[in-house]
Amino acid sequence: MSDRNRQLNRAPWDLAEALRALPLQAPDHSAWPELAEKLSLESGVQDHESKRSARIRRFVVPAALAAALACVFLVAYHARDSRPPVAGAATATVSPLAASSSLNSAKVDNVHNAPSRAEQLAALQQRSQALESWLQETGSAAMPLQGQDLAAATEIENLIGLVDVELSAPRELPDANLWQRRVALLEDLSALRYSYQLAAGGRVTAASMTN
Amino acid sequence: MYTLALRLLGDGESARDVLHDAMLKVFQRIATFRGESPFWGWLRQIALNEALMRLRQHDRAESSGEIDAFVDDAPGPWAHADAGTLERALARLPALTRSVLWLYHVEGYSHPEIAGLVGKSVSFSKSQVARGTQRLREIIDPPSGTVSCLIATAN
Repeated sequence: MSDRNRQLNRAPWDLAEALRALPLQAPDHSAWPELAEKLSLESGVQDHESKRSARIRRFVVPAALAAALACVFLVAYHARDSRPPVAGAATATVSPLAASSSLNSAKVDNVHNAPSRAEQLAALQQRSQALESWLQETGSAAMPLQGQDLAAATEIENLIGLVDVELSAPRELPDANLWQRRVALLEDLSALRYSYQLAAGGRVTAASMTN
Repeated sequence: MYTLALRLLGDGESARDVLHDAMLKVFQRIATFRGESPFWGWLRQIALNEALMRLRQHDRAESSGEIDAFVDDAPGPWAHADAGTLERALARLPALTRSVLWLYHVEGYSHPEIAGLVGKSVSFSKSQVARGTQRLREIIDPPSGTVSCLIATAN
């Protein structure tokens, strides 16, 4: 909506004004009853699933844990009885001190090598921009998506829209998680578009996919 | 949302389906909305995407030419036409042309944005606005010597 207010958009014949002045429309019968029915059906399915998962949590999981513990005990017991004594068995273990020091050094390395929050955010934004550019470049030249691919792409676009709405909210610091989510969704959309073009025999430049 | 879908698709039943599907998606995903920003923007975007998806599904049947970007600067007949006449004229435009016209003039999208939304080029969007405007002009106020279907129907 960038050039909404430009003179160019303000047609001299004022068609925009005439179109905007048209009255709002409403469906001849309410869409709510069907929607409510569909929603109640879905919530019924969800209730059934949640009851089922609750039952699983209450009975099946403890039973499975008990059985697994029993198995582990039996296997260990049999192994202990049948295992031949090995002279150098102790050499396979790592001394606690060595393990601890190696762990600490790894932690120190991670601290030194970990990118800062700002760097992470910049990288995510850059990746997001690259993916979006690629989608725009291929979008106009590529074959239009069809069927399930089109539905999936619309689904992803809706989710990206949701993330964009969240990102547009005023906040003190940019939310890296949201940017992460946006990049993930753009990657999904790119993968979908890329695989569709490949399947359709189209040519897609994969260079920016790997950026 | 219904008006937007109706203007894009030109069919009340399809617009109702769009409203239904969009609302269903909203209810399904409402938990992911954190309430830090305007909710209506997201809602409207979902409805627009649903309508555009249907439009793209039917797009193959329509012409997708990028020509005839003829611009007539003369004052339009819609200035003195009533809402009913303009609505009927709008309904007679091809769905894609009407959608581009609506997105540009009413929803306020730019040509590059519309091109991205409908999966066409920027010049396509421009030509559709010009073509749609010209066609509306002809339908509402037909050139002398021809009889408008609207007038003929009214008579």
